[in-house]
Amino acid sequence: MSGSMQTGPEGGWAVATHGLRKRYGAQTALDGVDLRVPEGAVYVLIGANGAGKSTTLKVLMNLERPDVGTAAILGLDTAAQGPRARAQTGYVPERHDAGNGWMTGAQLLRHAAAYYPSWEHAYAERLARAFELPLGRRAGGLSKGEVRRLQLVLALAHRPPVLLLDEPTDGLDPLARNRTLSLLAEHLADSPATVVISTHHVHEVESLADHVGVLRQGRLAAQMPRDELQRTVLRYRVQLPEGWRAPADLQAAGAVRTRPGREVQWTLVGDRRELAERIAQAGAQLREVTPLTLEDAALAFLPDEVSR
Amino acid sequence: MSETALHSTPRPRDVLREQLRTVGLALRAPATVATVLAAGVALLVALGLAKSGTRIDFHPELSMVPGIAGLVLPLAVWWGEERFGPGFFWTLPVDRGRHALTRVAAGWMWLMTAVLAFVLWLLVLALLTGGNVLGDETVRVVSLPPLAPAVGIDPAAVRTASRAAQPLFWLVPFTAASGAYLLASALALGTRRPLRWIVGCVLGFFLVLGTVEGARAVSLRLALTRVLEAVFSGPYGLDALLTARSESLHTVVTLATGPTVEVWRGLPTTGDWAAATLLWTAAGMIALWLAARRHGEGRRG
Amino acid sequence: MLVSLDPRDARPLYLQIMDEVRRAIVVGSLRPEDPLPSVRELASELVVNPRTVSQAYNELEREGVLYVRRGQGTFVSPGARSGDDERRALGRAVAKRALLEARRNGVGAEELMRIMGEVAAEEEGELAPAVSAPDHGEEG
Repeated sequence: MSGSMQTGPEGGWAVATHGLRKRYGAQTALDGVDLRVPEGAVYVLIGANGAGKSTTLKVLMNLERPDVGTAAILGLDTAAQGPRARAQTGYVPERHDAGNGWMTGAQLLRHAAAYYPSWEHAYAERLARAFELPLGRRAGGLSKGEVRRLQLVLALAHRPPVLLLDEPTDGLDPLARNRTLSLLAEHLADSPATVVISTHHVHEVESLADHVGVLRQGRLAAQMPRDELQRTVLRYRVQLPEGWRAPADLQAAGAVRTRPGREVQWTLVGDRRELAERIAQAGAQLREVTPLTLEDAALAFLPDEVSR
Repeated sequence: MSETALHSTPRPRDVLREQLRTVGLALRAPATVATVLAAGVALLVALGLAKSGTRIDFHPELSMVPGIAGLVLPLAVWWGEERFGPGFFWTLPVDRGRHALTRVAAGWMWLMTAVLAFVLWLLVLALLTGGNVLGDETVRVVSLPPLAPAVGIDPAAVRTASRAAQPLFWLVPFTAASGAYLLASALALGTRRPLRWIVGCVLGFFLVLGTVEGARAVSLRLALTRVLEAVFSGPYGLDALLTARSESLHTVVTLATGPTVEVWRGLPTTGDWAAATLLWTAAGMIALWLAARRHGEGRRG
Repeated sequence: MLVSLDPRDARPLYLQIMDEVRRAIVVGSLRPEDPLPSVRELASELVVNPRTVSQAYNELEREGVLYVRRGQGTFVSPGARSGDDERRALGRAVAKRALLEARRNGVGAEELMRIMGEVAAEEEGELAPAVSAPDHGEEG
């Protein structure tokens, strides 16, 4: 895709990056990332630590400048039109920091309100109540979880059309995590938005996500709608004859002989019928094909993490 | 696809107003402490003066307090704010360079308010003690060579002169504070570790001073003294900005005949002061602009 | 709650929601003219993108299973297709799953049908009277 994006929300991707590259000294954080998030999608960005998830989001907020490449939110270039792009965005950073630690939660909300003409005081208060935030306490004295919830309120209260959430449930106890995501779903019902969530905990956002991007060592190993991912990444239970060796094309799709014995389980990527044919042609017997959870399907693209 | 209007960025005046509020809130604590202290000092001074009957003339330019306040204020203005890195301040939908300058401006406005209060207090003091405000004054003037000692001065070398009041110098506290504030803000905004720079400069200063005192070669001492003068007490030095050179020109010497008197080594002129102030203020503005650019947005290369 | 999603189901979420609603109607948890949870409520409950819930409701509305009463929400159509077709469809889905599972365990189709007859006869005596009167008061 060329680097030119029309200004304005229609006719393009809600969030897009073009060939992002970023290095920190000898370490490569981003190695050519072409993010494509359609409008109204809940896009889950998956990857190990250091894979480049946070860096991508920071580039979208123009908190980091890429060495190469551009990024756009609703068609607005994030570097050339930074303020306008950020006016459309609600951002929860990776770190637990909500600005001036000396301000109370209530003061911080009031402070942020001045910067967003679309801020709604009543909604902010309702959200704070729903998140059970102690607004009278200094932000510096809040727990990790409370700060995270405060950051969420700050991001949601001005009803932005784009939400960039970096580990939105980090630091929250299990009960609070589920409630937070429920509240997010409610928020989306009232204020439709495009959401990009970066997370380790894929199982939490399994049902919320409708698009998936898997970052591996600075590149997108996979980027597709969730349905497509669950259709094309399946577990094949196969019976192997003695002395069997995987042909090249099956090996490329992920077929690995994991343990001795006749029956193996492979997680393979590709068209189901085609793979079934290839397995049959290779002389193995296909016993069963089962779908995977979103998390397991995504992990298939991160073979370093997976031992199957 | 729905066609929703894009959200707008905040108006600059709203941002300024919000920064005024925020910086004001941030300064509330130190300001309260300062006010209480100042009130206490003021009371003590007033009482002492009432008893001793000394007259305090209205010379706001003599005080270093506004200048020092300007130098120190950026510390409070940027306290707790992450000046470099992905802080909350920089995620807001405002051009980052301009946002930083807005905050600096907000701090400056509060500074001017404080300086005004200070100057008014000095005026009240002068009026209460019957000091001179607009009239002429008699001053002693003596010219001293650079490295000359301050004792054993020949009384004949001391002239008496009449000096008219210079209302223009009443602006000195404001310009001094502003100039100092600009420079210190540039440092705070433009460097990751301003304290290191400050410590470095102070150490450098003392190094030069020590050399002046301890060096054998007179030519070296003279040269270094000239350098110090140029930076600090000369016509375009820091003191010209801070006190119109009143601080460095006004001194105390002991006459050969015995008594210790206040003298002026030269009289400050408004022309010199204006030139020096313009110079330092311009330098401060350029430094600040460069510092703000470090945080600017837009493409790199 | 009458709707639950299976994370391992590879079908699009909106289809799963539609099937769950249909199932609820067949089983009797939802009767004609019953209100459905609002898009907002269901999205929050399931933690699902509200657009997906909207899509499911819109499709069901198009099929005539649901209808929208202005300002009041979404309701089950009075003429929602009688249980028979739906039940049959659900039954087929159950059968497919059972056959798959049986094959996995080495049990053939005919053997399974025989065994099923045996087990059903055993359980008939143990189970409480079959659920013919739907207890829709519990759910929803």
